[in-house]
Amino acid sequence: MCNVTKEQVLDSISTVIDPEVGFNMVELGLIYGVDIDDDCNAKVTMTLSTRSCPLHQMLEQWVREAAERTEGINEATVEIVWEPAWNVTMAADNVKQALGAM
Amino acid sequence: MFNISRDFAPPIKMIEPFFVIGSIFYALGVLFLLFLDPSSGHVDLVTVGWAHWLLLGFVMMTIFGAMAQLIPVVVEVGHFSVDLYYIIWPSLLTGTLTMVAGFWWVPDVLAYGGLLVLVAMVTFLFETFLTLKKAERITLSVKSVMWANIFLTVAIVIGFLMALAIGEGVVLDVGKWLGAHAVLVLGGFVTLTIMGLSLILLPMFGLSHGFDETPITRAYQLMVGAVIAYVVGTLIDWNWVRWLALVVAFVSVGFYGYQIWIIYQTRARKAHDIYAKTMYVGYGSLAVALVLGVVTLFVSSEQVILSAAWFLILGFFSYLINGHLYKIVPFLVWFERYSPLVGKQKVPMLNEMLPERRAEWQFWFTSAGLVVGGIGLLFGSSSLFHGGVTLMVVGAGFMLSSVLSMLSYGKELNISRTENNV
Repeated sequence: MCNVTKEQVLDSISTVIDPEVGFNMVELGLIYGVDIDDDCNAKVTMTLSTRSCPLHQMLEQWVREAAERTEGINEATVEIVWEPAWNVTMAADNVKQALGAM
Repeated sequence: MFNISRDFAPPIKMIEPFFVIGSIFYALGVLFLLFLDPSSGHVDLVTVGWAHWLLLGFVMMTIFGAMAQLIPVVVEVGHFSVDLYYIIWPSLLTGTLTMVAGFWWVPDVLAYGGLLVLVAMVTFLFETFLTLKKAERITLSVKSVMWANIFLTVAIVIGFLMALAIGEGVVLDVGKWLGAHAVLVLGGFVTLTIMGLSLILLPMFGLSHGFDETPITRAYQLMVGAVIAYVVGTLIDWNWVRWLALVVAFVSVGFYGYQIWIIYQTRARKAHDIYAKTMYVGYGSLAVALVLGVVTLFVSSEQVILSAAWFLILGFFSYLINGHLYKIVPFLVWFERYSPLVGKQKVPMLNEMLPERRAEWQFWFTSAGLVVGGIGLLFGSSSLFHGGVTLMVVGAGFMLSSVLSMLSYGKELNISRTENNV
């Protein structure tokens, strides 16, 4: 049984900031889910704001590394999905406000 | 261990010459306008030489440099061989200088300049086509870039033959083929490239999603059809076909403008930063150039032709290019110098790497010069034209200084991806 919570992993991932927009991946709403198995391996499901993101590979790597920095997590894997497609309504209110989208 | 793929971002030392040389050609190109007589026609060799200076030295040089980063972004795969870009800028630079010398002073060297430009472009086309071949998703942007490069191939063959005709006496009706060469380069390559890239870049930077892409699909189809029709019309010497092709090209630009409006309306990021403002003036210039272009279909006026070209080249093309330099250059510099530090220390955001004040001065001087100079050309006022150009010279100086400042940001860090096990 693993005692690490999904919130702890999300806290670690929130240190990863998209340098173009200046917000972290969690508040941008790009992290769709975190699953932790009994052996404390995390699987992060995420998307990107565009399929053509030039930081595609790096963001994936940073999120994996950040998840692995969570205390108690053994190994993390990241799956990038395109459905549902990201839009700004998935972002946190502070992001929407800062962008002028609300 | 750090393991970042370089597939999607070439090293800055490879791309830096393209942007520095492009900005120098832009600044000098604007400066040269002070010595041009606005009453000289668009087929005058001095004007043609200046057009090649700006279009090859600034537009093509910067587009090629940007393509080193943007092609993988568009086709979603890595380059076939990005190292080929090391061949492109030296041959394009020496070819452009030689060609312009040919137009202005020594017609005999024109063909040699054309040959060097040909080498640069064939290398670019070779690399681009082999990269496009790897594309798994054939999107509208991929198709636009593919057609743009096919048209560039035809344009450079025609251009080279014209250079041989002027410099070496090869029999070719240069006056007749000049129009086809211009339509292939400006409509076929530059406009189609911009259409394809803007469908990716504008939504990416504006965070626009879920918009209808029908207008740009129509724009792309019509522009491809128009360019083909214009070349065929030139081949068979049917003026009405060429006229009709221009009408279709203008309709295509109208559809494209409508698509940009849709993307603008659906954007989540509403900030009116230097990038956004530059895009507004760029697309505003396109609208003015379109109206003036339509007028030239019915009114034969050299002043209207020149002012339409002014707003198209120094307005639309230059603003789109310079505006995107404010995005692309910081990204490449950040990727090179700061990405290895992510997670280890605080790194700057991309917008913090902009020399904001200089960029603002660049924008306002250039915009004032664009409007004043364009009005001067349209109404045949030499003093208004030169007044506008003077403002643009100051703006171009700020642009060059901004590009150099962005390129040197964080240089003292002296971190390379090689050292970080890439």
